[in-house]
Amino acid sequence: MIEITLEVNGVKKTLSVEPRRLLADVLRHEFGMSGVHIGCAHGACGCCTVHLDGTPRLSCLTFAVQCDNSSISTVESLGGTTADHPLQKAFRSEHGLQCGYCTPGFLMTLVPFVDEMVIQKRIPEDEEIREAMSGNICRCTGYHGIVSAVRKAVTDGLKSGAA
Amino acid sequence: MNAERPKFIGARVQRFEDIRLLSGTARYIADIDLPNMLHLTFVRAETAHANIVDIDSSGLADLGFPTWVFTGKDTAGLSMKAHQDYPEMQYSEQPLLAEGKVRFVGEPVAVVLAEDAYKAEDAAEHLLVDYDLLPVVGNMEQARDPSIPPLFDGWSSNVIVQRGMKGGDIEAAKAAAAHVFKRTYKTQRQAGVPMEGRGVVAYYNPADRVLTVWSSTQMPHLVRTYISEELGLPESRIRVVAPDVGGGFGVKGQVFGDEILIGWLAMKTGRPVRWIEDRREHLIASIHARDHQHTLEAYVSADGRLLGLKADITVDNGAYSTYPFTSAGEPGMVGKVLPGPYDFRAYEATFRAVATNKCPIGTYRGVARPSAVFSQERLMDDIAKELGLDPFEFRLKNIIRQFPYKNVLGFTYDEGSYAQALEKMQVLLADDVAEAEASRTSSTKRIGVGIACFIEQTAHGTPDFTRRRVPIETGYIAARVDMAPDGEVTIDLGLQNHGQGLETTMAQVAADALGIRPENVYVRHGDTMTTPYSVGTWGSRGGPLGGGAVHVAATKIADKLRAIAAHLLQTKPDQIELVDGRAVQRDNPGSYVEIKKLARIAQRNVEQLPEGMGTGLEAHASVDGAPDGCYSNAVHAAVVEIDVPTGKIKLRRFVVVEDCGTILNPLVVDGQVRGGVVQGIGSAMLEHFIYDAECQPLTTSFADYLMPLAPEIPNIEVHHIETPTPLTPLGAKGLGEGGAIGPAAAIANAVSNALGVAVTSTPLNMNSVWKLSQHLRETA
Amino acid sequence: MRPASFEYHRATSLDHALELLHQFGDEGRPIAGGQSLVPMMNFRLARPGHLVDINRLPLNVIEIDGPVLRIGALTRHIAYFDNPLIAKYFPAFLDAVHYIGHPTIRRNGSIGGSISHADPTAELPAVAVLYDADIVVRSLETTRKINAAEFFLSAYVTALEPGEMVVAIEFPLPPEAYTGSFVELSERSGDFGMASIGITLEFADGAITKAAMVCSGADLFPIRAPEIEEYLVGKPLASPGSAEAGAIFAASIDPADDHIASAEYRRGLIAELTRRAIDIACTRALERS
Repeated sequence: MIEITLEVNGVKKTLSVEPRRLLADVLRHEFGMSGVHIGCAHGACGCCTVHLDGTPRLSCLTFAVQCDNSSISTVESLGGTTADHPLQKAFRSEHGLQCGYCTPGFLMTLVPFVDEMVIQKRIPEDEEIREAMSGNICRCTGYHGIVSAVRKAVTDGLKSGAA
Repeated sequence: MNAERPKFIGARVQRFEDIRLLSGTARYIADIDLPNMLHLTFVRAETAHANIVDIDSSGLADLGFPTWVFTGKDTAGLSMKAHQDYPEMQYSEQPLLAEGKVRFVGEPVAVVLAEDAYKAEDAAEHLLVDYDLLPVVGNMEQARDPSIPPLFDGWSSNVIVQRGMKGGDIEAAKAAAAHVFKRTYKTQRQAGVPMEGRGVVAYYNPADRVLTVWSSTQMPHLVRTYISEELGLPESRIRVVAPDVGGGFGVKGQVFGDEILIGWLAMKTGRPVRWIEDRREHLIASIHARDHQHTLEAYVSADGRLLGLKADITVDNGAYSTYPFTSAGEPGMVGKVLPGPYDFRAYEATFRAVATNKCPIGTYRGVARPSAVFSQERLMDDIAKELGLDPFEFRLKNIIRQFPYKNVLGFTYDEGSYAQALEKMQVLLADDVAEAEASRTSSTKRIGVGIACFIEQTAHGTPDFTRRRVPIETGYIAARVDMAPDGEVTIDLGLQNHGQGLETTMAQVAADALGIRPENVYVRHGDTMTTPYSVGTWGSRGGPLGGGAVHVAATKIADKLRAIAAHLLQTKPDQIELVDGRAVQRDNPGSYVEIKKLARIAQRNVEQLPEGMGTGLEAHASVDGAPDGCYSNAVHAAVVEIDVPTGKIKLRRFVVVEDCGTILNPLVVDGQVRGGVVQGIGSAMLEHFIYDAECQPLTTSFADYLMPLAPEIPNIEVHHIETPTPLTPLGAKGLGEGGAIGPAAAIANAVSNALGVAVTSTPLNMNSVWKLSQHLRETA
Repeated sequence: MRPASFEYHRATSLDHALELLHQFGDEGRPIAGGQSLVPMMNFRLARPGHLVDINRLPLNVIEIDGPVLRIGALTRHIAYFDNPLIAKYFPAFLDAVHYIGHPTIRRNGSIGGSISHADPTAELPAVAVLYDADIVVRSLETTRKINAAEFFLSAYVTALEPGEMVVAIEFPLPPEAYTGSFVELSERSGDFGMASIGITLEFADGAITKAAMVCSGADLFPIRAPEIEEYLVGKPLASPGSAEAGAIFAASIDPADDHIASAEYRRGLIAELTRRAIDIACTRALERS
């Protein structure tokens, strides 16, 4: 067992973990972040994407011990229980989710992309949006609603930035 | 339809369930966490066909942590029995844990339980199974070879069932035909793959003698019934809960042996037991789909009219029959649906399921119809080409235009828009057809346009299952609607919601019937303790039957509200309209009572009720499918661009014109269609579950089993025609599966069109398209 | 699908990492991005007894050092996309990185990890072989530079000895009149390629003076194509005979025939990709000359 300190969604906690425990499992079981979903456990579906020190990372390919003294954010940190982050709202209005299982991973992958586009002040081509989500599998939506949601979130972000 | 003008049915209402799904607060099976829980790992067969010589668990003693091991000896006699009452059918049972023999790689042989999931997996590695290998039955041809021994004792061959169906005079059709076309088409084996795998948690409380089983299932009530029958417990003491379910697509629309087994283990160990399926076991051992071969013979008149069709259908079913749709379900469905949307009067089909040493076939979105429509619509294009007819013209010449239509097998089709859908698509594709034509001179880049025209029997009712003699037996969906004294409404729904938006669409339906807003309707589902008995969510029945049941039950409450309001306003109930939260006198809008007040009167101030009226505002309704279901129709079109030197296909456009009757919520309908289409694109181009000659699976991870990713997929264009059916309360037909039915046919037709060759099998991946375009490289 | 037990060690310096790897020998594995190693561990196909975490070591520098461009083993794939040195000197490299995985993999995967994992169709091993790169390998006692052509021995098998780890890759800087290209085709974008071809060219007076070519998908590791490299010398940039080169090369290889694709298809695809890579490189050369 190794003692580590993780800051998860702003809350710091020190705990002892076995080295082999996947970050995904530790976030789910030790921090109660059940929004971290495991879809394949071999890094091929993107469901478990979280931010490790601000960068999207597959939590099924990461051992919790590697993250000592790191800051992690999960989907729970985006818009709280009311899901009011602009990208979450856009997912809802554009029907970018159905069963919801892959959704936290898509959100955590795409939030930095949306932010980047707003900083660059441009609405990305569909092709670019699809490339940004190419590591995430959604089996329900056919991606269409997710592409629309990203486009809408960027558009809304540019509007509110201009306002 | 209710008397009031619908306000919410048909509106683009944003989904209520999205909030918990987006915020990470949804509860899926892996989020069910109980104190003192044991974690289960399956030890699965590593070989496809073998006698089990010995299971050695002695290595577990030295691990230093407690473990529990169970094998087929412990569960002897417990099994999955999925028999169809056909005299020709050879029955097999799948033991919950293999007894003496394994018949496919991935079959459960033993379970190991430990107090931690990682440790359970460690322990399972120490359970050693000694096998005595047997030769495998590896494919359809071997399964039909009488010299190869049957997989089960007492069987006469590996043909599980072979039956025929016919209508009209096929010999006369053949004799009258100017042209006979005979073709064989194949569709590959697939897995279904919802993003959340399966999983089961069970807990037995001896104090109240209740066994609770949480399962990621589409059919909680059927799981309850099977557990009751197999374990001998009363249904009243079994609670099955489907929590949030991360996609089902039919994969989770069967009762699995593990659901029974884990309930049994919870009772046996006295502790909660949890199993969360991993991706490898999902791919190799949950449910497979498709794996069909169809030989079709069409008889066509000199003027291009279909006179008759003869079909020979084989499905490689894998090792066992699945419950409740059985191994005869898949090939039988093909036989039933091949007449399709075309008007012809002679038909004869022979269908068979054969047993091989592979994962069993079960239901997956579209169930047999993606394969049936692939064959049917490829044949239509092949015939059109040989006769020199345009694919649209040939279909329009043969399409059914008069409704209701009784087809060659006696099935009655309700009102549809078959010809209109084709005509609309023809207009939408005009430019692409011209561009495809212009690309014919190129030997490097070809463009092709392909269509698939099909109908889909949805909302199958009890008579359909009675005819098929399958253990599902019934097809109804029930709902209980309850208005509380504050006017808020709860629906306890027999459907299970796993992405279909039912928590929203059902609220829309109730809101319209009751004159309130959908926000004031709370839809509960998935828990057998609170919801009325129903068959679950599968077979495109949610909107037509579930929506119908909600409408009928809510209307009963609305009738009572009207009666109370009429009493208070001293008018007649038929003069009362429920709208915007008020019961309003029709010709005197100033005269009204708040619905909330009526709800309070019905349950709190009951002294104000009309004399003789009972208290409460609760209603139950159950809606069954029409004898032949109701038929949605659609035309799908694909526009492909093929890079001839490499075989790489780019899907330029995918267009859908569909008719599912009354649309409850366009947001949801478009989502269902698009999601289905992309799964269909996966079937057409990528997804292939492959076994080697020894029936070892080769595609056991997402690195090998390829599903569509965003960059390869175009935006899916969806157009609607709305022809309400008289056969369901709201005029809605089913639509959950249709999207997945057409793409294989449409894309194959587009590839055929682009390359000028007949495509006979899927998947159309780079290698197969390259092979199909060989002739263009040779002439280049 | 969870890993077997192992012990974890965070290296605080390169020497510390090498000490640990020395101590654990066969049982020790360095872990960087973990994008290839951890999936294998989750399937329990890899079960190292000790993981040495090198992520916090300063091995992510891309710099010119005399005649070479040195890329530290921990450089993440994302770093190449806007790196001016890669763009200026190694156009085939820059082409190749666009085929690597997906955004999350690009942010986390490292060149040392990709090279050490030696997937037969991964992009960076092919790039290293194409450019005659040296894999700089250290152990507690020695530093070795292994030419990429000698580094990859088979699928997932390299010349690394127990206790050794890749610390950098050194790419010889090219002359001025120099270009290249890399093309790959896979069933889906981001997948490892069904096949890929990389080309570099030196040229003068409108003709090729020197060429290098690498192919992934023809064998269990990326291979060079000496016959084609020789064939291309002297060919005019405007008509390099690329189709013929593709045909010659395809006839010389013996690719796998398996459930993913037939040998015949792989050969056909490699011929076509060879043609395309040569044509792209020649077009670029013409633009530059």
